[in-house]
Amino acid sequence: MAGSYTLPPSGIPQAISGEGLEPSSQTKPNYRAKYVLGGHTMAISSLKFSPAGTLLASAAADKQIKIWHVYTGEILKTFSGHQEGVNDITWSSDGEFLASASDDKTIILWNIELGAVAKTLHGHTNFVFCVSFNPRSNLLVSGGYDETVRVWDVARAGRSMKVLPAHSDPVTAVGFSHDGTLVVSCAMDGLIRIWDADSGQCLKTLVDDDNPICSHVAFSPNSKYILAATQDSTIRLWNYQNSRCVKTYKGHTNRTYCLYTCFSTVTGHYIVSGSEDCKVYLWDLQSRELLQVLEGHRDEIMRQQTHPERAVIASASMEKDPTIRLWFDDANKR
Amino acid sequence: MNATLFNPFTITHPTTIQTSLVSGASFARFDPSGKLLAAGRPDGSGVIWDLDTRATVRWCEGHVKGITAVDWSRNSRYVLTASKDWNIIIWDLASPCDPPQRHTTIRFDAPVIAASFHPRNSRIVLALLSTGEPYIVDLRSSHRGRFELGGEDDGDEKRTIMTTARFDPTGRHVFVGTSAGTIEVYNTRTKSLVARHRIVGAGVIKGLVFANGGRRLATNSSDRTIRQFTLPTYPPPPEPNTTYGSSKYQIVETELEPTHRFNDPISKVAWHAMSYSPDGEWLAGGAADPAAHKIYIWDISNDGQFASALDGGREPLLDVHWHPHGPRLASTTKDGNILIWHCPSPERWGAFAGGFEEADENVWYEEGESEFDLEDEAELALRKKLQEDEDVDIVGGIEDGTSMAPLNDVMPGDVDLEWADEEGELDREDWRMKIITVEGEEVY
Repeated sequence: MAGSYTLPPSGIPQAISGEGLEPSSQTKPNYRAKYVLGGHTMAISSLKFSPAGTLLASAAADKQIKIWHVYTGEILKTFSGHQEGVNDITWSSDGEFLASASDDKTIILWNIELGAVAKTLHGHTNFVFCVSFNPRSNLLVSGGYDETVRVWDVARAGRSMKVLPAHSDPVTAVGFSHDGTLVVSCAMDGLIRIWDADSGQCLKTLVDDDNPICSHVAFSPNSKYILAATQDSTIRLWNYQNSRCVKTYKGHTNRTYCLYTCFSTVTGHYIVSGSEDCKVYLWDLQSRELLQVLEGHRDEIMRQQTHPERAVIASASMEKDPTIRLWFDDANKR
Repeated sequence: MNATLFNPFTITHPTTIQTSLVSGASFARFDPSGKLLAAGRPDGSGVIWDLDTRATVRWCEGHVKGITAVDWSRNSRYVLTASKDWNIIIWDLASPCDPPQRHTTIRFDAPVIAASFHPRNSRIVLALLSTGEPYIVDLRSSHRGRFELGGEDDGDEKRTIMTTARFDPTGRHVFVGTSAGTIEVYNTRTKSLVARHRIVGAGVIKGLVFANGGRRLATNSSDRTIRQFTLPTYPPPPEPNTTYGSSKYQIVETELEPTHRFNDPISKVAWHAMSYSPDGEWLAGGAADPAAHKIYIWDISNDGQFASALDGGREPLLDVHWHPHGPRLASTTKDGNILIWHCPSPERWGAFAGGFEEADENVWYEEGESEFDLEDEAELALRKKLQEDEDVDIVGGIEDGTSMAPLNDVMPGDVDLEWADEEGELDREDWRMKIITVEGEEVY
């Protein structure tokens, strides 16, 4: 935690100044590795639980996408079709489609049931780095090294509905708000931009003073805040209405890669992030206190994801240890 | 969600055409979420448009003659289409196929010219036949039946022809317009006549619309005037099982005096359709001009002043419908195109710069007392820490402008609404329309 303070001017000791914190800080997370899933041969770039939580999809630089069973750890399906490494994957909200973004400049829409390519989306002129469905899953948004954000019609995926000249550097993350009216994007230019999904207008730009490269952004579950990870080893929670940073989380290492960060709201309210020191970090949302560090991986952790309903975290690491670990918090089961 | 980031001082009625949907339709209706649009075609198909992608998502094909009415259930799961082929079909959009599965088919012995769902329950349907008879069709197992409104008329005069019929927004009453320039009000539950209003000089009543609360009614009639009325409160109907017959019960029989009359004083144009904005502050009228596509907008909150006339080009207008939430309209042209009108908010280039606020005028900047003083870093860090100690709520407080307003809770003892809510669980909120991928571009 940052800083070593003496007493605040009021004379109130520090431990009390955090009064009114969520009870979440009392139920400490206690995650333990349950499964180590091997199968990918190169760095794993993305991990996503299916909306129902029974499946886990992973994508890697080995051009493959694998679907795992969360509670048994089996590989159920392997999709190959991309010509180059896969950067990001996303589930449609009914779990019927998976979209994958790849260095081969395309996005593939996979039909999970048939295990086949439903559509290939051409349009990006450089690596596609991130994809996300809107809540109704009739739109797909993507960003990439061509510095654009594109909005696609899922049913007629041949056409890109909008091309937003969004950033002046590669776009590293995109996402929709819970009601689908806003899109957030962030890029290596260090800017976070909020867009009106319908008109494509830029509504807001958030920027930190030092302009660090932005690794990942996501709306909070109620879409009132934006969680942003930057490559100065910091995660910030922004109130985008008044452009103020309301929380900062530190302790992990993020200098080189676009690490993923996410909320965990199942047992308590935590912020979860991977780290370049091969660990996964969990902070308390309110107190910003580091609650647990998950150790076990032997390489940088690019991606980790929290389960939509249960106290489960999946994490995956890079080249030297291309495995996925599933961490279960059995003490705080729900 | 996006509304909070836009300029709050924008106009709240549409001003320009956003897009045109080539649909072959004669009219179109937004769904209650405002994300879908159902269009009725003269060839008998109903088309569901997704307004996010501006593409068709379902074709409801089952009628053999032109569609005369479409309506959406409360949670948009069911779509009703009424047709000149004597049928009403209710489609279930939760079925994972295109065309969607038929949920119910209701057959009559005459062309159906208007039909709608009960606002609280999609198992109650109001239908008006071309012979001038309105029916309430109750599809619920415990109330199943088909009830003609005004069927057992006293027989003292020749039967009036019903020309239009609608539920009011609560679903408590059915309002029926007649060829004799009267509006009859029936209780939905008991099907008994509650009130009859004469509207002087109106001629044939052609259309009825309610402002959202249901206290205001606008009528369109053959005298080329749109009238707005404030409705009285109606007494509860006679209970059919107590004193049978309406002899003891006094129906409200009044002349309604319009609060406003809207017409075009110069060209005296007739009106095809009208529609209130969701807040009831604007009224849009679609002019029956044979050579132009014109929508008149009146400012109801400003004593009904004429606000604007939208010009949609040369294809004559057939129908107009206001979006359920925002400043948007759908108007249909005689050539079958649906024009979507919106109110564009101007691009703010300042939004591209971080921490940049646009000012309309020059502002003298007044420097604060200690604004540029160098401060102790430890103190700054402490202040930031204290600021960050404030709790944030990342999950709660979701209030959606786009989602449905909750149904007003039924007061205990409100028999009309309790009756209407029985067996209503089919049309739930949590249904989802399956995305069906389309190969290539389709031809209309």
